[in-house]
Amino acid sequence: MSTDYSVEAPVVAGRLSLAEIEELVARPLDTKPDKKFFIALSVSLTALLIGATCLLYTFYYGIGMWGNNQPVGWGFGIVNFVFWVGIGHAGTLISAILFLLRQRWRTGIARFAEAMTIFAVMCAGIFPIIHTGRPWLAGYLTPYPNQHGLWVNFTSPLVWDVFAVSVYFTVSLVFWYTGLIPDFATLRDRTKSKIKKTIYSIFSLGWRHSSRHWLHYEKAYVILAGFATPLVLSVHTIVSFDFAVSILPGWHTTIFPPYFVAGAIFSGFAMVVTVLVFVRKIFDLQNIITIDHLEKMNKVILATGMMVGYSYGMEFFIAWYSGNPVEQFVFINRAFGPYAWAYWTMVSCNVLIPQFFWFKKIRRSVPVMMVIVILVNVGMWFERFVIIVTSLHRDFLPSSWGMFVPTLYDLGILLGSFGLFFTLVILFTKALPVVSISEIKAVADGAQPDHHGGNHNG
Amino acid sequence: MADKKIFGIVSLFKDPNAIISAAKKVASAGFTNWDVNSPYPLHGIDKAMKIKPSKLGIVTLIFGLSGVVLALLLMWWTMSVDYPMVIGGKPYFSLPAFIPVTFEITVILATVSTVVAMFAFFFGLPRNAHALHDTDYMKKVSLDHYGIVIEAIDPKFDEKSTMDLLNNLSPLTTEIIYYPEKETYPIFEPRFLALLFGVAVAVSLGTYLMLNKLMYIQPFNWMDKQAKITVQSRSDFFNDGRGMRLPVEGTVARGFIPYPFEDQKNPTEVLSNPSFPTIENLELGKSKFLTYCSPCHGNFGDGDSRLQGQFPNPPTLHSDRARSFPDGMIYHIITVGQNAMPSYASQVNREERWAIVNYIRALQRAKNAQDSDIKFVKAE
Amino acid sequence: MTYQKKDLPSKISKIGIILLIVGIALGVLAFFVDHSRAVFNYLIAFNYMISIGVGALFLIALEYVVGADWSVPIRRVVEFFAAIVPLLAILVIPLLFNMQELFHWSHTDVVMEDAVLQSKAPYLNVPFFIIRVFVIIGIWTLFYFFFTRNSKKQDTTKNQKLTTLNIRLSAVFIPVFAITISLSAIDWLMSVEPHWFSTIFGVYFFAGSVITALAAVTLTTVLLKENGYLHPSMTDDHLYSLGALLFAFVNFWGYIAFSQFMLIWYADLPEETFWFIQKWEGSWAIFSIGLIIIQFLVPYIALVSQPSKMNPKTLKFISVWLLFAHLFDLFWLVMPEMEQMSGGYYFSWIDLTFPIAIVGILMLVFNMKAKNENLIPIGDPKLQRGLDFHL
Repeated sequence: MSTDYSVEAPVVAGRLSLAEIEELVARPLDTKPDKKFFIALSVSLTALLIGATCLLYTFYYGIGMWGNNQPVGWGFGIVNFVFWVGIGHAGTLISAILFLLRQRWRTGIARFAEAMTIFAVMCAGIFPIIHTGRPWLAGYLTPYPNQHGLWVNFTSPLVWDVFAVSVYFTVSLVFWYTGLIPDFATLRDRTKSKIKKTIYSIFSLGWRHSSRHWLHYEKAYVILAGFATPLVLSVHTIVSFDFAVSILPGWHTTIFPPYFVAGAIFSGFAMVVTVLVFVRKIFDLQNIITIDHLEKMNKVILATGMMVGYSYGMEFFIAWYSGNPVEQFVFINRAFGPYAWAYWTMVSCNVLIPQFFWFKKIRRSVPVMMVIVILVNVGMWFERFVIIVTSLHRDFLPSSWGMFVPTLYDLGILLGSFGLFFTLVILFTKALPVVSISEIKAVADGAQPDHHGGNHNG
Repeated sequence: MADKKIFGIVSLFKDPNAIISAAKKVASAGFTNWDVNSPYPLHGIDKAMKIKPSKLGIVTLIFGLSGVVLALLLMWWTMSVDYPMVIGGKPYFSLPAFIPVTFEITVILATVSTVVAMFAFFFGLPRNAHALHDTDYMKKVSLDHYGIVIEAIDPKFDEKSTMDLLNNLSPLTTEIIYYPEKETYPIFEPRFLALLFGVAVAVSLGTYLMLNKLMYIQPFNWMDKQAKITVQSRSDFFNDGRGMRLPVEGTVARGFIPYPFEDQKNPTEVLSNPSFPTIENLELGKSKFLTYCSPCHGNFGDGDSRLQGQFPNPPTLHSDRARSFPDGMIYHIITVGQNAMPSYASQVNREERWAIVNYIRALQRAKNAQDSDIKFVKAE
Repeated sequence: MTYQKKDLPSKISKIGIILLIVGIALGVLAFFVDHSRAVFNYLIAFNYMISIGVGALFLIALEYVVGADWSVPIRRVVEFFAAIVPLLAILVIPLLFNMQELFHWSHTDVVMEDAVLQSKAPYLNVPFFIIRVFVIIGIWTLFYFFFTRNSKKQDTTKNQKLTTLNIRLSAVFIPVFAITISLSAIDWLMSVEPHWFSTIFGVYFFAGSVITALAAVTLTTVLLKENGYLHPSMTDDHLYSLGALLFAFVNFWGYIAFSQFMLIWYADLPEETFWFIQKWEGSWAIFSIGLIIIQFLVPYIALVSQPSKMNPKTLKFISVWLLFAHLFDLFWLVMPEMEQMSGGYYFSWIDLTFPIAIVGILMLVFNMKAKNENLIPIGDPKLQRGLDFHL
């Protein structure tokens, strides 16, 4: 099974023609949803409804319905926020960063990944708003002139979060929509239904596939990708600042920004793989989302998993090196205290399990990779849980120590967030093309003229 | 049928190399109002068409830099001028803490402006009424063909010679495209809509400025501008400029009732117990006793407190001396204190003090129970 | 158009030898004139060599692991810079004889008085330190030999299995590199102030090292290309990728430096802030501001636009600039801890001695490798894809 490195692997397998590609991708939009669709949708909607119910109870009776207490003032609310924001990052990485790195294999998965980003950020954004207990006052989080003459505290990482997450959502939406415009135009030109044609016409803004437009469009795309890259790194960095700017041992450590970003990419890619494995099977997209692509994503998962492992090791080492007994206690408590079960779940799922991806056979085996990536997501949820709860439940004064026990409402809302995410994903697959039609056509075999270009300036 | 107006002539191709060479030829023929349409960007088409590189980056640069300036201005104004607060001991203008928000605002302004500028100004979109829409050409070009369109408004355009030129490029098909005879609805013209929007903004702004700034009528202020002096505001009425003043000498708190027997040793001639030892009263007394008195006096008044010698233990409340105290004496001691015991007047109010007195009396009776008492209890 | 191997002009080795001898002579003189300052400068110079050599090794591994095409035609340039790695074992020796000058924790009497240093003693003690130094350098040297042996062999055998082997080695190397470079940075640079600690320090040094290695590679590549030493079908598009990587890592450095600073500034814990406060004493404040401008602002502005990333003149200028910037960075990290400099920086010719020697060594090593090997991996199966690369 030796590779020939002198030949570049094709992005689209199976020698598909442009028309075949378009047909494959657009087919789900032309056909009515089948029974499997409704079964999947009902499962996710049920989860969503359970979450919504728990949320209504929380609004009515207050945050006392959750397990938060003193000293653990931040519980599932913030764990879930960080978890979902992290998952969102893979989408932007795939569409923006892999674009800048000219990794053409991203083309088949970028649209889906970006959609996942937007949905994940929507799920994430719910939590900061609801966890305050008075979500109807959320408007005060933005700086606007008000009767009290009050402004937000621009030096607080919680306010930085408000800006970061809203900018991230907006830019991701803009980026996604910009990519969708040529596809809306294509759909407008191929659809037979008058209603759909009107809708597609409106959303396509009248795009005419003009080369003069493509020129500016490509520049805008590069600019968007160029901004989205530092943006996505900044968002999870700012989320990590929520913890790192404090003086709490286990939270205040300088490596948090890159550590959180690596962890976000790690969990995000795991979620992308989880969803794509189903999508490519259900929509017959195996030639566009190939095993090679999945394998590459698994390599990224392995790499970022090791970055997370490096961070665990460095935190632990420097905690010892610092000679600070409180800092040292936090790490011993994590491993051997009452939440040790959560800690070891985290370590095995994040550090040990991804090591299986060193083996090519496993990287290319769909059933095994499914198990691994689901465990990765479990591990990453637990990482946030461990960081937040263990540092809070036992900090400086032993007389302040306590325990955090989640309530059914906590669990219900977590379940609901998954319900929301998957409902949106499922609806997306029937409403919009899951692969970027114009981009994937551009990288198909024979799509580009034979190029003798390049800047020859000496 | 009225004379149909020609929009232009289009040719379709299926091979990317063919369209590139065709484009080169059309460009060298000197046309300016022409275009190539493709379902995705073709590499090298901009060079073949001799189009200049995009200047979109300038928009990004301008708006990005404005973002930096605006963000820092906003934070400087709000945090250092309008409502400065010392937070975490940091200076009013803390640049390291302002960096994240500055970055975010820069990104949002730069990206959104670029996209909006591109679609609205560079492309003139949305525009669904273009002559090429709904043509067979458009449908093919959306799917998997490439096309050249030369518009009639080009100075070099001539129906016959342009047709020949295109046919010589060996396209799959060539056809003439006419302007559609569709009705357009003037009210949906973008320019009109923009005018409407502008008028709406101008009228609202004008109204607000006139009513608010010229006539001092505020939209709803719910009494929030009042002439009174608020906390921490200035007042030029006083020499030191402070609006907040200390209370005048002799000021007492609301609800304050003076205790006239402060310095008397035994005011029991005038102090008598006004409360009745009902069950509620005794429960109240018990709970207050356990909270405030038991740390020193012990749970049952024996003086065997939990302090274990860290604070001098008081004598037992069941001594003859204590039992012979009138109620008023006990009340007085709670109110003003005695020897090492401080005054508890601020912790327990008058009603509670009398309840404690009743409870102490109950304790004292319990510790020195008579047979008759025990019989009474047994009878219950 | 094919590649013809040309020898580098002889003046390169001549200049290299002169610079090296001058540098060493001055260095030895400095050792007697101002012992402490000379030793500190040597520490900085040694870590500079680690940055270039091990940074280059990382770049090689990165190329293999991500399967990059564009960098294949210039991989030899990177490999030649990595050739410094085996020399590290020799270059480190003068430092090992002067540890007392550098490290408070190496003085047993100091440690006895200080409970914090005692708690670190299981790690910060001379024997374990020396073992770590040689084990780490040994690991780097081992990977260097395997990478380059396979690469050189491929020139003649054109065996694709060697690429597969190097890819596997690279995948293993990268986590090993992460750990070893972090420990090396902690040992040599962070423990100069043994009371201070920062979990991101290894990443900080990594960022600076990659920039430096890239800058050296970029400068050399542009010079070699302009003078016809590389493959004739290389274009400015290849340079663009180097420029883009430089830009990306400059941003990365800025991000890491800002994170480290801002978090410590924000929490305001004296046990952490004192390290930065020391770098604000007297003229060190100018140095600190200067670091932001030199290492971040100027390179950012110079490289932000697309055309400038592939402009040979810009790239040459900014590469030299960044090579200097890393020296500046290492200086800023370590020098404020030197006794005489704690109040502020004052210039001395001693600070120039070892940088002169560094340039000399780099030129000599590069020249020697270029004499014995092809400047292009002619046997690499991806070479043609790399040469065909275009934007």
